[in-house]
Amino acid sequence: MPRLESQTVLDVVTHIQRRLDPTLSYRFACRVGMCGSCAMTVNGKARWTCRTHVSVVAGDGKLEIAPLHNLPVVKDLVTDMAPFFDKWAKAKGQFTGPDTRKDEFAPVKPESRQRKLVDEAIECIGCGVCYASCDVVTWRPDYLGPAALNRAWTLVNDVRDIEQRDRLAAVAGDAGCHACHTQMSCTQRCPKFLDPAKSIAGLKRLTMSAALKGEL
Amino acid sequence: MTTSASPRHAVTASPNLRLQVLLWAAHRISAVVLAICVFVHLAVIIYAVRGGLTAAEILGRTSGSIAWAVFYGLFVAAAAIHAPLGMRTVLSEHFNWRGRSLGIVTVLIGIGLAFFGWRAVYAVVGAGPA
Repeated sequence: MPRLESQTVLDVVTHIQRRLDPTLSYRFACRVGMCGSCAMTVNGKARWTCRTHVSVVAGDGKLEIAPLHNLPVVKDLVTDMAPFFDKWAKAKGQFTGPDTRKDEFAPVKPESRQRKLVDEAIECIGCGVCYASCDVVTWRPDYLGPAALNRAWTLVNDVRDIEQRDRLAAVAGDAGCHACHTQMSCTQRCPKFLDPAKSIAGLKRLTMSAALKGEL
Repeated sequence: MTTSASPRHAVTASPNLRLQVLLWAAHRISAVVLAICVFVHLAVIIYAVRGGLTAAEILGRTSGSIAWAVFYGLFVAAAAIHAPLGMRTVLSEHFNWRGRSLGIVTVLIGIGLAFFGWRAVYAVVGAGPA
């Protein structure tokens, strides 16, 4: 494998497929850290391969590339992301507003408290690195996982959404945010430097408050 | 935050879900109580053991003491709540164990800890001053 300046792990995988083994399957799209499709396990850790420089992760010249953990493998480096995104839906990751397209825009003030709470969380690109890094997902396959809960946290703080009670019920309990052990691998590994563990902590507070009030 | 349920997907309160969240809260709150109790317990040991200590000396101080009875009674209660809930999670995650049987085992562990713990508390504070 030729070593190039600023070579990324995705460059390596692409070189292998184009020059060495055309049967190699892998997934990528944007190559610039926006789409979230190229995540793989690189030397044992989940990473976005398009923005991971070989020089940073392969100090000793060795590079082991594998599919993401905690997801079924379709072929080679391609995992089936369906279980991952099914959990986004299960965590009620869909926005439901009260308005139709005929209504005026509902303004959300950028400086409002709830909008500021999710400044980070809304930047998630859905790459699955946090999900693949989470030991609780490994131990408890029905756990919703950090990405889905982070998505729910963004909507819980969306003042326009009208199905908040349903959402809190969707994310609470033993397979929801309360399964999180706050090990923070998600926060440690997130390539966008987001903090899903903080989002989950926020959900724990809100669901506990709802449970105490008998709203859950 | 708005918490109005939509008419389309109206959710009725689920006792099971609510219980799961309240048990989670009990686990955390009992941990806080345990942290304080363990600290006091260790600090008193370190203080009291200076110059040697005998069982008779300990019993002399604890026997009939309402303060120690309350303190260790609370300590046992926190342990009897915290430990089984932690075990419940460990058993659930490592053996994929769910449902009623796990709940029963959790309660039995709690009752066992409370029984033996409070019996020990009674043993050191129950009898009047020597």
